Amino acid sequence: MDAKKKILLIDDDKDFLMATKLILEKGGYEVFLAEDGKSGVEMAKSVNPNLAIVDMMMETWSEGFNVVSKLRTSDSGKQIPLIMLSAVDLQGPYQSFEPPEGLPTVDMVLHKPIKADDLLRHVGSLLGE
Amino acid sequence: MIETARGSRVLIIDDEESILDGCRQALEKSGYSITTSSDGLAGVNLAREIKPEVLFVDLKMPNCSGMDIIENISREMPDIVLIVITGYASIVSAVEAMKKGAYDYLPKPFTPDQLRAVTKRGIEHRRLKVEAEFLREEKARMERNFITFVSHEMRSPLVTIQQYIESLKLISEGELKPEANEIIQRCEKRIQNLHDLIEHWLDISRIENGTFSEARVPLNLTEVIERSLEEMCPLCQKRGIRLESDLKKGLPMIYGDQESLLRVFSNIIGNATKYTPPGGRILVCTDCDDYYISVSVSDTGQGIPQDKLPFIFEPFYRVRGKQERQRGSGLGLTFSKKIMEAHNGRIEAFSKEGEGATFVMKFPRAYDM
Repeated sequence: MDAKKKILLIDDDKDFLMATKLILEKGGYEVFLAEDGKSGVEMAKSVNPNLAIVDMMMETWSEGFNVVSKLRTSDSGKQIPLIMLSAVDLQGPYQSFEPPEGLPTVDMVLHKPIKADDLLRHVGSLLGE
Repeated sequence: MIETARGSRVLIIDDEESILDGCRQALEKSGYSITTSSDGLAGVNLAREIKPEVLFVDLKMPNCSGMDIIENISREMPDIVLIVITGYASIVSAVEAMKKGAYDYLPKPFTPDQLRAVTKRGIEHRRLKVEAEFLREEKARMERNFITFVSHEMRSPLVTIQQYIESLKLISEGELKPEANEIIQRCEKRIQNLHDLIEHWLDISRIENGTFSEARVPLNLTEVIERSLEEMCPLCQKRGIRLESDLKKGLPMIYGDQESLLRVFSNIIGNATKYTPPGGRILVCTDCDDYYISVSVSDTGQGIPQDKLPFIFEPFYRVRGKQERQRGSGLGLTFSKKIMEAHNGRIEAFSKEGEGATFVMKFPRAYDM
């Protein structure tokens, strides 16, 4: 049997992490949590996740962008699908799926809260399942 | 702020060379950077070039009026602190100069100490002015960010609760009693209401402080209304209300913001569904005359008592009594009114108790399209 696929979840809201973890675990994934950008980037190196989900607004309002660009330039994060999470209703630069030049690209932008089946469906399709 | 005092630029315009020399000596000792001009016009050009913090102007010069210089400079470069030098110690002309924008005056003859004291006071005045301006801008910036900050802080916990409910539903699938599922559904509904409230509050705050982004483009109102009808149709069906429309063909275009107007129409229709019983009807009509394009939404609901009509656009005002169930954010009509006003239009309500209500939105016709 295949090993469970690993998902790294980076968000500064502990409860949001817990709620989302429960959903992803129910979907059959192994979930790793990081409560800030820095430890998230570190954890990506040691865990080598198959997919990462990053919140846009953490310690600073643009922390998510920093994290994504760091992941995109690291060996562990170069190739994996990245999902950006946003609680702001479409006001940031990721308003469209094509971020302006200079911002790191993500594979998908999802808005909080996310319906459980939507989350599992999107994650599944990004992982080619 | 010592560096602004030392090295502060002072320009002196006076036709008497001896005065200019005296001033230069007195002020350079205190570390100011002094420029002088014995000609009015040349002095004004110098002011444009070096942008002094303080400018002294002699009111009485042979080929130029000091009063005109004061008037022009205070209009063109309001940051410069203007001080008049009055040869004939005339209070009347000093007062006139101050009305035209001068900050202070210095009567001839004056001692070096008097000159330094007036200069120092002028520079201090300028520093306070600059600081006040900076603080004003800072305050405006904080007010703009405050809305974004508060909305994030208010939405975050709600979003987390919603996410917990999502996970709760998933992991307990099929294991909860129907009553428990019902409770979860009710929680979801109340949270959604709170969400709507925050959204409306946010929109209103944005309109009030001018950061509401509106794209003013030529709009076909009929299309916007049709979108709104489509959006509201499922809700009306669910409540057993007929949603009908009578839209005039060939309505002129207006300038407006599509998304915010869509929300206004959906708001008004949504409001009508709350007060219209099953089997009732909501009718949306458009019309236009030489001046206005109007959109009306009428329902066959219980209507609004005459004495309450003037208040329904106030935030959180509710027509129904406390004992009845309150639905909605309480800000929907306030939002709609503000959006209509932002379109130079207006919204009015007509009703007789027991005979339904009609909301009329009027947009001025644009003739340059």
